[in-house]
Amino acid sequence: MFDLEKAIQEWLNQFKKHRAFDDGELREMDLHIRDHIDDLLAEGLSPEAAFKQAKDEFGEIKPLAIEEFSNHKRSTTILSLLKTSMYKNYIKTSVRRLLKHPLSTVINLLGLAIAIGVCVLVYSFGYWVDHVDQHHENKDNVFLTTAFINRNGETQQWGLSPRPLGEMLAQDFPQLRNVCRIQERNVVIKKEDLVFHEHLSFVDPSYLEVFTFPLKYGDKSLLNDPGNIILSRDMALKYFGNENPIGTDVLVIFDNGVKKSFTVAAVAEKFPEAIAIKFDFLVHYDNIETALDSYNAEDWSQSVKATLVSVDNLKTIEIVAESMDKYKDLQNRAMEDWQIESFRFEPLSTLYQNSSSINKTISSRYYDTNKMSHTILSILAVFMLALAAVNYINIAIAAAAKRLKEMALRKTIGASRSMIVSQHLAENLVTTGLSLLLGIVFGKFILVPWFESQNGYNSGFHFLDINLWFYLVGVMLFTALISGLYPALYIARFQAVNIFKGKVKFGRGSFITKVFLGFQLVLASILIVCAIMFTQNNSYLQNRSWGYEPDKILYARVDNYSMFERLKDKISQYANLKEITAGSDHIGIHYSTKVMHQQEKQYEMNVMAVKPNYLSTVGLEVIAGRDFIANSKADKNSLVVNQKFLEQMALTEALGQEYVMDSVNYTITGIVKDFHFHSFLSDIEPLVFIVGEEQDFRNIAFSVTKGTEMESYELLKNSWAELFPEIPFRGGLQSDVWGSYFSEISWHGQFWRIIAYLTIFMAALGLFGMISLNLSGRVREFSIKKILGANIQHIGITITGDYLWLFLIAIGISSPLSYYLVDFFFDLVYPYHISSNIMSLIISAFILVAVLWVVIAILLTQVHQRNPIHGLKEE
Amino acid sequence: MISKNLTAASTKPIILGILKQGNSYGYLIIKKVKELSGGNMKYSDGMLYPVLHRLEKEGLISSMWVMEKDSVRPRKYYEITELGKQALLKEQKEWSQVNDILHAIWNPA
Repeated sequence: MFDLEKAIQEWLNQFKKHRAFDDGELREMDLHIRDHIDDLLAEGLSPEAAFKQAKDEFGEIKPLAIEEFSNHKRSTTILSLLKTSMYKNYIKTSVRRLLKHPLSTVINLLGLAIAIGVCVLVYSFGYWVDHVDQHHENKDNVFLTTAFINRNGETQQWGLSPRPLGEMLAQDFPQLRNVCRIQERNVVIKKEDLVFHEHLSFVDPSYLEVFTFPLKYGDKSLLNDPGNIILSRDMALKYFGNENPIGTDVLVIFDNGVKKSFTVAAVAEKFPEAIAIKFDFLVHYDNIETALDSYNAEDWSQSVKATLVSVDNLKTIEIVAESMDKYKDLQNRAMEDWQIESFRFEPLSTLYQNSSSINKTISSRYYDTNKMSHTILSILAVFMLALAAVNYINIAIAAAAKRLKEMALRKTIGASRSMIVSQHLAENLVTTGLSLLLGIVFGKFILVPWFESQNGYNSGFHFLDINLWFYLVGVMLFTALISGLYPALYIARFQAVNIFKGKVKFGRGSFITKVFLGFQLVLASILIVCAIMFTQNNSYLQNRSWGYEPDKILYARVDNYSMFERLKDKISQYANLKEITAGSDHIGIHYSTKVMHQQEKQYEMNVMAVKPNYLSTVGLEVIAGRDFIANSKADKNSLVVNQKFLEQMALTEALGQEYVMDSVNYTITGIVKDFHFHSFLSDIEPLVFIVGEEQDFRNIAFSVTKGTEMESYELLKNSWAELFPEIPFRGGLQSDVWGSYFSEISWHGQFWRIIAYLTIFMAALGLFGMISLNLSGRVREFSIKKILGANIQHIGITITGDYLWLFLIAIGISSPLSYYLVDFFFDLVYPYHISSNIMSLIISAFILVAVLWVVIAILLTQVHQRNPIHGLKEE
Repeated sequence: MISKNLTAASTKPIILGILKQGNSYGYLIIKKVKELSGGNMKYSDGMLYPVLHRLEKEGLISSMWVMEKDSVRPRKYYEITELGKQALLKEQKEWSQVNDILHAIWNPA
């Protein structure tokens, strides 16, 4: 007997072999064949004949499937996905859900937005670092001449080059497009009443060909005239405001006292934001002969700040590089202490990246530091994203409790597992999309400006940068996937039957949820410890001794000996003066490096040439041997060294050791305790004091009666103004010398505290979401407890108990982790720092537990205020 | 009998044309096509469905499941969209152009 129903089913089953058909389409075919059969039956055919005819007319299934499948393939663009009604509905339901659960929405949105804000910051910082000095059009064809010098057994790269090198290169290699020398001097610039210390660059006229600095007023060629001066936009604003300064004269006072008037010939446009090589004032290189007494262009023992060459063909630079031995010999004959091993031409395009290892580079040496900061920030961003994603996961799983029946119903009416998963992911995309918007606003308008103003840079990154959007969309998809995939799979896993039967229960949170929460607490705890330790470290550094007594010292720096004498005479008359000293060098202001010989060995050494009473005046402690003696002829050959010197030279008995510097024999007569002559950001280096020639003294330091420091400071400024009305004051309180350094380290503390606040906030949000969902899943339980007489404290204890052990485990894991992590981090950043301590761990643990209590207290208040009857009715 | 290629090419305007006269579902559409062609167009019924689904994806028609009052079965009704109406106008224009050309060639004045 023919079974029509069975035949239809078998026919339909053939469709299922092909993946082209979804449930709706199958149903459509099913209905089609039935309609057709009905009609044929009505025409009087037998069921078997009707089925056969309907089937034949329908045609073969395989070509149909191929055709249908090509439809699917055509449709896999995101836009077409969104167009299909399924996804439209998903988005609609997502938005409705978000509005229906404002609490979890806010938690998810805020958490993700904060994390994405940090990502924007990371991007903008990286953007800045990667764009430094990339605006020069010829950057691939311009090279800085650098030299390798062997010092104490290690090869160092230097950006300085011998003075005559540039001129000789230009003569010997006509195929070089340009050769450009740069020399810099500190000068005083005067325009009517405006007088400032400035940095003047002496450059060859090709400077504006080699570098790309567009001019706002004037023309590149004007640099050819030695009587012209070119200003940066900032300097034009400083001296002329918004006026056009072309044609105005400014007076330059060189540090040898010679004055020369220059005509402003051009003004540069605003420099790009990401920049390391820049200028304030440009004049023709030949002016160096005016600025330096007895200038000799042929002197190989002198150096210039930089010699750049540019080429039309990169082959040329290889040819030049091969012929550098000639100049090496010339240089090495003239400078015994400065033996060049080889020259290298560093391309301008990568100069900033390579400059971390180049001494005296015209670029900046901060690339490595910046790269490291970028890495740290990136790690931080990933941390924050992980925190936010974990928040999301926890809340999504907990929220799923309320949606189980919805899911079960969808499954029953034919939704496949993959459909439920994709619905969840679509919902996620909506949430992350919204957070993305919020995060961008937060990052661009709050976080980035704050970070940049604190660090004194401007990344100049903007929304038109296409990479930014790739990056952000990448971040968004990544977050949506990792935060959404697990909950989606988790929810889709359940059997509908079990849900309806009530076998699947939520409420107390599954094991995996707790693992996630624990992970989040660990992250939060580490960041809190970071913040605490950075704060502790700040106060440690602020109170750290400099190794001498900066608080009682004032100083002033002059340009030449006559200024020195006049100022010294004036200060000597101060009533509050205790001691006055001087030097060619001064702590924190200036020191020089010389080459020191002992038999065959040579060392590069930091040297300070001072007056014999310098050490006692500034409060340096002589721990062995003796201080210099005033007016002692013998002390012309004495050395006082610091402890670091002994360490580096591996000396057990230092006193009496003999060295040669500048062909003078010296003997160590004293040892001073180590002191910081750089900021605490650098290691203390070996240093020697020698007695300097009074003619060379440019620094005056003096101590005054305690309590009169400020008064004396005012007096000093007045004396200066009286003596040198044309030259701005340069000096102050010794304790202010490192003022900017302290603002830098206190900024580190501030930064980590803010990161920690954000983290605590995010962890609290997550906790809040978790516990409130947990509570809402247990409304009936608590209502019954309440009716039976349990008071709010009991309920509080029950909930605290649920979470406290989790906190304890998290703290147990994070404590050793953060202990070593922060130590490692400090070692990386600070040469001098506190070591990790238990106190910070305790504080961090306390903060975490306090957050738990606050969250529970807030939620319990809500439970307390509710009538238990409503609670019982609810489920 | 109309050739396979021509049949395939004309499916789109025919379906859009039928739907322009009123909403309909798969089986009914095919029935109508068969009626109109008087058996001159050889269709396998099934091949209509991929076309319908493609048109839906292109946004020319939309669909909706409907349970009619006196029916035992739900039906997936297709409706022509605004976009579909525009596409139909374009098809009409093109086909009449072809028709004009053929006409001009075969019936020289």
